Amino acid sequence: MMSPEQSAVFIIDDDASVRESLYSLFRSVGHLTQAFSSPREFRVANLPDMPGCLVLDVRLPGQSGLEFQREAARSGMLLPVVFITGHGDVPMSVAAMKSGAIEFLTKPFRDQDLLDAVHRGVEIDRKRRAEAALVQELRNRFNSMTAREQEVMALVANGQLNKQIAAELSLSEVTVKVHRGHMMRKMQARSVPELVRMADRLAGDTPRS
Amino acid sequence: MLSDGLFLLSELPPSPEQKRLAIGVVLALLLASAITAPFARIQLTNTEAMLPAYAAAVLVNELITSALLLALFSVQRSRAVLALAIGYLFSGLMVVPWSLSFPGVLPAADLDAGLQSTALVAALRRIVFPLLVVVYALLKDRPAVAMKSQRSMRQTVLVSVAGVVFVVGSFLWLIFVNHEVLPRLMADKSIASGPWWYVAWASMILYVAGMLLLWRSRRSVLDLWLIVVLCTLFIEIVLLSFISAGIRLNVGWWAGRIFGLISTSMVLIVLLSETTALYGRLARSVSAERRARENRLTAMEALSASIAHEISQPLASMVTNADAGLRWMAKANPDLEEATAALKRIVRDGHRAGGVVEGIRTMFKKGAQERAPVNMNQIIGQALSHAQNEVQLAHVSVRLDLDERLPTVIGSSVQLRQVIANLVSNAVDAMQAVLGRARVLHISSGREEPSRILVSVADSGTGLDSLPPDRIFEPFFSTKAEGMGMGLMFCRSIVEAHGGQLWVTENHPHGANFLFTLPTSDVQTSPGSTA
Repeated sequence: MMSPEQSAVFIIDDDASVRESLYSLFRSVGHLTQAFSSPREFRVANLPDMPGCLVLDVRLPGQSGLEFQREAARSGMLLPVVFITGHGDVPMSVAAMKSGAIEFLTKPFRDQDLLDAVHRGVEIDRKRRAEAALVQELRNRFNSMTAREQEVMALVANGQLNKQIAAELSLSEVTVKVHRGHMMRKMQARSVPELVRMADRLAGDTPRS
Repeated sequence: MLSDGLFLLSELPPSPEQKRLAIGVVLALLLASAITAPFARIQLTNTEAMLPAYAAAVLVNELITSALLLALFSVQRSRAVLALAIGYLFSGLMVVPWSLSFPGVLPAADLDAGLQSTALVAALRRIVFPLLVVVYALLKDRPAVAMKSQRSMRQTVLVSVAGVVFVVGSFLWLIFVNHEVLPRLMADKSIASGPWWYVAWASMILYVAGMLLLWRSRRSVLDLWLIVVLCTLFIEIVLLSFISAGIRLNVGWWAGRIFGLISTSMVLIVLLSETTALYGRLARSVSAERRARENRLTAMEALSASIAHEISQPLASMVTNADAGLRWMAKANPDLEEATAALKRIVRDGHRAGGVVEGIRTMFKKGAQERAPVNMNQIIGQALSHAQNEVQLAHVSVRLDLDERLPTVIGSSVQLRQVIANLVSNAVDAMQAVLGRARVLHISSGREEPSRILVSVADSGTGLDSLPPDRIFEPFFSTKAEGMGMGLMFCRSIVEAHGGQLWVTENHPHGANFLFTLPTSDVQTSPGSTA
């Protein structure tokens, strides 16, 4: 369940009345909301550290909304984006969706549509953040192990028996068992399958674009 | 350009070259007559054989002129032109029996019964033609006949031609068959008798009357050359009847004929060349009109897209505000403050949309199209006083540098006021985000040699933001316009419709400067020239 205080919505639109109305709307459903009149303002702002979603007008003076989103994504901004526009151009909407936007709405939109899209965006961001946090936690646990323990973990996750691990690492079986115990404890894995999942997560944690 | 609508021969004013040519022709004629006068009585016998050639030339000349005028009539529907065409047709048709019955031309046919026929025909020609020119001069300033269909125009033409033929036929019957009842104009086959002089004087009076009437109300190429024609005929009759003592086939007589033929040929050549030149100009004008219309259509498409956008923005905001207000009120603890704020924003956005509609209406209202002398300084003052609230609320200080001796421009005060209002509004918006330095709106006006005024509206706001200067005039460009909500594209199209230009430059050290020129009232603008 979404706990309303924990989500943020960021609005970028050069039209003041649009900004104000959206600001009021999002706050009325409980989002922490910030409004900006240009991408430049947004870039220099301190953003709260919580799941969020960006609502962006496609046509802005200077850099277009689409260009900004692409550039921001390239430089590592992972916020989901919902596009709004006062002009209904189809090619632009296709381009927007292809570059990964959650939704593309033309004014005047039904506010429920916007709220739903933002909700989806916030949930996606929430999951991503939770995932990132978990991976970070695992990484911390991994880094707290000794080199031997890390080696043992890799081999255990591969499905090898203690005897095989001992042979491979030129250790005695007893030593392997000790390392294994430490490793399972430090990783907080209750079973080998769980450990395998953790190992997968760590291995698959490549920087997302 | 043909944009002033005067392109028919009977309406187009003559150019200075044409006037010089006309005067030249008349003077040359007078000179030639003066030169031949001493030799006028020398008889040139047996020259009747040349007569059919002369007559043929006259016939062709007059028939073509008549055809030209009938064509002109079917376009212009002027009774005056029809009268003139009939005059030429009558005269042309009558030259045939005249030459055929001239003694010695066709002796075998023996048409000159009683020696009078030729002279009678000539008399009719001399009287009827100037009579119809006088009719033309009297009728030509009357308004044209109401729009009739092509078919009925053709019918009128056919009826007129048939009428002329019938009249000619009747006269000829009278002359050739029943001539005893008509006055004797010829004493013998080459000397005129008493009654001829009446004809001569009558025709001279008619020529002079025609010339005076045309001179008094002269306006067009046609009028000018008709005066020349009448002059020619006057000189001709003087030569024929007086200088050559009314005797046929002497030098004076032939001189009169030849000069007459040359000058009416000249007239015809001028009219034909004028017609072809007009044709070319018309063709170019039509294609220019077509291009202008296409431009207008494209501009209109862009304009309506711009309008749709300007209205849908406030509408969307209103819907969102209303929705937000409802949500604030539907909470367990309704937040009335927030709901009230939302409602207030709805009111404001509604007014904004209303402003856009009002702006559109004013722009296309009849009054907005009217052009009158306008003092831009006054307009600037009016626009500023309307925008006073907005300016003060935004803490913007206004600096004015208006030239007191600013010349007037011709234009629509309503539209120009909107341009200033819009530029001021944009300037104020641009300065909303400015902190830490003065917000100054600087408006100046002045004369720019040789025939323009230059108005500039400069702000100290965020400036062009490294945009290409022309992008903000594009219809889809997001504008910050509130109030009139009418966008810079409207401004530019108004300024250009007044014959000026609008552009923007960077203001130093901060902000943007919008400049536009307008032609002063001593230089008339023609809307077509900017298309």
